[in-house]
Amino acid sequence: MNGARGSLRLVWTVWVFTMKAFMASEFFLLTAVLQPVIFASIAFFLFRIGGDAAGEHTLLYAALGTGMMGVWSTTLFGAGGAIAWQRWEGTLELLVAAPRRYDLVLAGQTLGASTFGFYSVIATLAWGMVLFGMPLRASFPVLLPVALLAAIIALGAMGMLIATSFVLYRHANALSNLLEYPVWIVTGLVVPLATLPAWIGPISWLLAPTWGMEAIRGATIGSAPPWLPIVLCMVLAVVYWLLARVVLVYVLNKARRDATLSLA
Amino acid sequence: MTAIALPRLQTPAHAGSLRASLRLFWYGGRISYTALFNWARPSIYIPTLIGAPTFQILFFATLGNYATGLDPAYFAIGNSVQVSAMSGIYGMTMAIANERWFGTLHAVLATPANRAALFGGRFVPFIANGLIVSIYGFTISWIFLGVRIAPGSLGVVALGLVVTVFSCSAIGALQGSLSLRLRDGLFGANMLVFVFLLFCGVNIPLETLPGWMQAIGNALPFTHGLQAVRQAIGGAGLGEVGGLIAIELGIGVAYALAAFALFRRLETSSRRNATLDVR
Repeated sequence: MNGARGSLRLVWTVWVFTMKAFMASEFFLLTAVLQPVIFASIAFFLFRIGGDAAGEHTLLYAALGTGMMGVWSTTLFGAGGAIAWQRWEGTLELLVAAPRRYDLVLAGQTLGASTFGFYSVIATLAWGMVLFGMPLRASFPVLLPVALLAAIIALGAMGMLIATSFVLYRHANALSNLLEYPVWIVTGLVVPLATLPAWIGPISWLLAPTWGMEAIRGATIGSAPPWLPIVLCMVLAVVYWLLARVVLVYVLNKARRDATLSLA
Repeated sequence: MTAIALPRLQTPAHAGSLRASLRLFWYGGRISYTALFNWARPSIYIPTLIGAPTFQILFFATLGNYATGLDPAYFAIGNSVQVSAMSGIYGMTMAIANERWFGTLHAVLATPANRAALFGGRFVPFIANGLIVSIYGFTISWIFLGVRIAPGSLGVVALGLVVTVFSCSAIGALQGSLSLRLRDGLFGANMLVFVFLLFCGVNIPLETLPGWMQAIGNALPFTHGLQAVRQAIGGAGLGEVGGLIAIELGIGVAYALAAFALFRRLETSSRRNATLDVR
C-alpha cells in the first residue's frame, strides 16, 4: 500500500513539475497555444470558404480538431525529448540509479506533456468563440470530463512509448518534426477518416489521438454517448504502457551494459 | 639566442580588398552552412526537410480539398513554395544566431572582414537549399496531387521561385539578426513559418481574408512570389507576372537591408556595452 501510494506521489510530483517547466518554456507555449490558434484560424477560413463542409457544427468540429492537433504536437515533442533532455541536463543517470522505478518518472513526464497539450483545446475553443462566433455546446456534458481524462491518459501512455522508442535515435526532435503532420492526417483530426483511403483506417485504430478525438467529439457534438472510444482509449493506454515497459527495460539494460546511458 | 625559422605564410588578401571579400562571401557562406546549420546532417535533414514537407503538403491538400472543395493542386502549389521557408527561415536564423550560441561570434566580429560579404555569403547555401526543398515539394505534388507545369512556363516558375526563396531567406536573416539579442531565436522563426501559412495565400486565397490580414500578407515575403508562381503555372508569361516578381524582389531586398542594418547596429551596441556574448 505504502509502495503504491509512493508511486502515485512520484507520478504526481513529476507531473506537476513537468507542467511548471512547460509553462516557462517559450517553445511549449508556441506548440500548445499559438500554433493551434493559427491552425484553427486556417481551418475556420477554409471551412467558411467551403460553406461549412462539416455540417452545422463545423466551427466546433474544426476547433476541437485543431485543438487536438496541438495536444498531439505537445505530447510528441514533450515525450519525444523527455529522455534526451535528461541526458543533456545530466540527470538521467541519477534518475535511473534512484531506488524508485524510472518508468514512473517517465510516466509523470509524458502525462504532464499530454495534460499541458490540452491548453490547445481551450485555446482553439476560446479563439473560435471570441473571433468566429462559434457556439459552445456539449451533447453529453457529464461525459466530457471523462472523455478528456481518457484522452489525456491514452496520449500520455502513447507519449511514454514514444519517449522510450525515440531514445534509440540520436536526434529525437527530428523524428518529432517528421511525425507531427502524418498523425494529424491518419487520425482524422480535421478531415474525417471516411474521406481518406481505406488502408488508413486500420492504422488510425492503433493511435490514441483517433479515439481521444472520437471521445471528445462524441461528448460535444455526438448523437450517442461515446463509451466505446473512451473504453478504447483506456485499452490502448494499457497496451502502450506494457509495450513502453518492455522497450524501456531493453533500452536501459543495453545502455548500462554498453556504458552509453549518458551518451547522446 | 637563435631565431627560429618560421615557414613563410602565404600572404592573405588584404581584408578590405575585393578578392578577400569575394572569397569570404563564397567560402564563409559554405562554412556557415556546414558549421552552423544544425540540420545539415542526413539524420536530421531527411526527417525535417524531406519528410516533414512531404506530409505538410499532403495534409493541407487533404484538408483544403475537404473543407473548400477546391482542387488539391491549389494547396499543393502553395505549400510546395512555402516549404522552402524551412531552410530560409530556420537556416538563416541558425546561420547568424548560432555564432553566439557556439561561442564564435566574438572571434568573427573581431576580424576586419567586410561585413557585407560576411553577411551576404550566408544567403547563398540557404537559398540553394530552399530551392531543393521546394523542387522536391513540387515533385511530390506532381506525382500525388496532380500539379502540372507546362514546359513553356518552367522558366517563369523557376524565376518566381528563386526570388521567393531569396525574400524568405531575407526575412530569415532579419530574424537571425534579432536572435543575436533574443534568448530563443527559434521561437520567432517558428512563428514566422506559421504566419506565412495563414497570411500569405499559401492555403487561403488572399482575397477571402479580412482587409487587415491582406495588408499584413502584402508586406510579407511569399505573397507576391507565390501569386506569380501560381499564375505562371496557370500559363501566364513573364510579361504578366513580372510585376509581381519585381515586388517580391523589392520586399526581399528591403528585408535583407533591414537585416544587415540591424546586424551592424547590434554589433556596434554589443561592443559598446560589452554584451556580445551575453545570453
